[in-house]
Amino acid sequence: MRIKSDILVIGAGGAGARAAIEAATIAPEMKIVILNQGPVGKSGLTAMANGGMVWVEHPDDSPEALFEDILRYGCYLNEQNLVEALTIEGPQRAQELINWGARMIPFESGSGSSPSGGAKRHPHPRGHYIPGAGYMEALRNEIARHPNIIVLEDVITTKLMTSGNRVTGAFILNMRDGKCFIIDAKATVLATGGLGEIYPHSTNAPFGMHGHATGTGYAMAYHAGAELIDMEMVQFTGNQLYPPWLLGNPELLCMMCGGKYINALGDEFIQQPQPRDVIQRSAYREIKEGRGTKRGGVYIDLTRSPLSGEEIEDQLKHSLAEEVAKERWQLIKRMSENDPDPKKWKIEFTPGGAHFFMGGVRINEKCETSLEGLFAAGEVSGGVHGANRMGGNAMVEIIVFGARAGRYALEYASGAREMESEDISKKEIERLCGFFRNKGIPPKAVADRVAALMSENVGVARTGKNLMRALSGLQEVRENDLPNMRAPSGRIFNQVWSEAVQVPCMLDVAEMIIMSALSRTESRGAHFREDFPETKSEWVKHTMVMKKSGRMESGTVPVTITKSGPEGKI
Amino acid sequence: MSNNTVNLKTFRYNPETDQIPYYKTYEIPWQEGMLLLPAVKYVRDNLDETLAFRDYCCGCSWCMSCLMMVNGKGMRTCSRLLQEGENILLEPMKGFPIIKDLVVDFGINITTPEGVYKKMEGTVLRRVND
Repeated sequence: MRIKSDILVIGAGGAGARAAIEAATIAPEMKIVILNQGPVGKSGLTAMANGGMVWVEHPDDSPEALFEDILRYGCYLNEQNLVEALTIEGPQRAQELINWGARMIPFESGSGSSPSGGAKRHPHPRGHYIPGAGYMEALRNEIARHPNIIVLEDVITTKLMTSGNRVTGAFILNMRDGKCFIIDAKATVLATGGLGEIYPHSTNAPFGMHGHATGTGYAMAYHAGAELIDMEMVQFTGNQLYPPWLLGNPELLCMMCGGKYINALGDEFIQQPQPRDVIQRSAYREIKEGRGTKRGGVYIDLTRSPLSGEEIEDQLKHSLAEEVAKERWQLIKRMSENDPDPKKWKIEFTPGGAHFFMGGVRINEKCETSLEGLFAAGEVSGGVHGANRMGGNAMVEIIVFGARAGRYALEYASGAREMESEDISKKEIERLCGFFRNKGIPPKAVADRVAALMSENVGVARTGKNLMRALSGLQEVRENDLPNMRAPSGRIFNQVWSEAVQVPCMLDVAEMIIMSALSRTESRGAHFREDFPETKSEWVKHTMVMKKSGRMESGTVPVTITKSGPEGKI
Repeated sequence: MSNNTVNLKTFRYNPETDQIPYYKTYEIPWQEGMLLLPAVKYVRDNLDETLAFRDYCCGCSWCMSCLMMVNGKGMRTCSRLLQEGENILLEPMKGFPIIKDLVVDFGINITTPEGVYKKMEGTVLRRVND
């Protein structure tokens, strides 16, 4: 079966939804198809995002000031044309979202420019706290107002369709009936989000459940021939060890509740606010040099917070739906029975929980990729955040570049002629059905192996030796485990099958990260090489990977500079 | 049943193979602080790989993708703490068409302007009573 469309949007998180809305608003006669792996607003990464959103609002603030902050945090690896778009268009896009009904809670003056990520404190407020599910609800309702947007839920995109250098649509597996079909499109927008699940601990996969962050978008773009930049730049955050905590990211605790970073000796080893990468490296150093706890972590100490117990409770409840806050809070209290007062809590964590991915598909300010007809926006694209994302910028990135991708994809689709790609259905269906077998390795076991390799060797601190070890480990998984991966038979909502379909993508993405990490022989932002600890000015350039004659090739491409910045200096 | 377990009596229905729905009970080891949604995932990962449920979790009780009927009451399974030795009756959320087992089609009933929200094309949706 084939479905014809003008614009195909893959992923209905913030970026994808915004792209579809933009195109549908400008051109009500165009047929726009948007795909999602689960129900819109009840799946994906935007719905789980639960933190800050930053835009310029205060009269004393300016896009230029924000631009400088973002560049400093990104260690000057940011594509400056993209950062300009982000800082200038942020306020307008945010206002639209508020008009559509998204709930935002402004941070009080002086509480910092962002709740997380350690952004610089400003005398004026710059951040808003925004619950991701409310954000998605506003976008979903807006999608529903456009009759020319067709929403397909519970579908997995397995491959981008190509004709030469042009992307012409995608190959889809419908989870609801287990059948496959092709969507032809004049323009395709990739908005598939990140890859947290290739690490064993990730804020993208709460409670070890799925978060739809397996990196399929990166892998599909790679196989279609797109250029991907800065794939070594994985942003890590704290991974909670103790007590079994139910509110997610411990780093948020520190920022929102005034906690202090303490080692096992009771010394404050780093003072807030700091960029995420600095916190992660400091915690790593404390543990490595023997000042970690018995469980192998460090503390976030709320006993030293300037806030009272009640104030901390209030801050924590912010992050929950009102009607569940009370119930969940009681749960937390019950679980921390010995110390019901948060003012007495010391939260233990290790560095290395995958949180965000700065690298991705290379785009220009029109969200065009290196392939014709393919646009990318959101976490799957690279270059906006450089080597380290400033807290609060992801939620604004997705709507700014989502809207841009929608607009320019529409422009492209209006002038492009329809092109039918080669029908690869038979081959692709054979590949997908190849996972149905009685004996073999379950996909979860293969995914766990990849995740273990990544956390052991490609975590907060990296060395050439460890990266090589990970690469050969990955090769073993590819040769021994992948051909034996199995799923039970059954077409309808076979979730083990859908895991199996995504595992090869996880392997490809892991390889891209390792190859890029090997080629960047310096330390910058989130990429810390113990064997190359210095930041080198000649490395103000992007690492780049792409597929050439069936093999992964790595190289570099220059950083786009629009304004003068202290190049390479941190 | 020993005390340090939880029993999940689970609604099963695969429109591909089943004429009518049935219930299957899974006994799983209980741990202090165990939540219902990860417990269902434990069943799929360790006891029955064919069990379908919405395995996404936003982690902050917001998204409601994990809504199910628990002992006859609709609730977010991600925030439901399990007690030692508890017997749970687990069924798909009421009011939505069942796709398979505990998975329902939320898209069909969302509160948006009537008739505008598009149903998925090319989908075979079957209700239990069809």
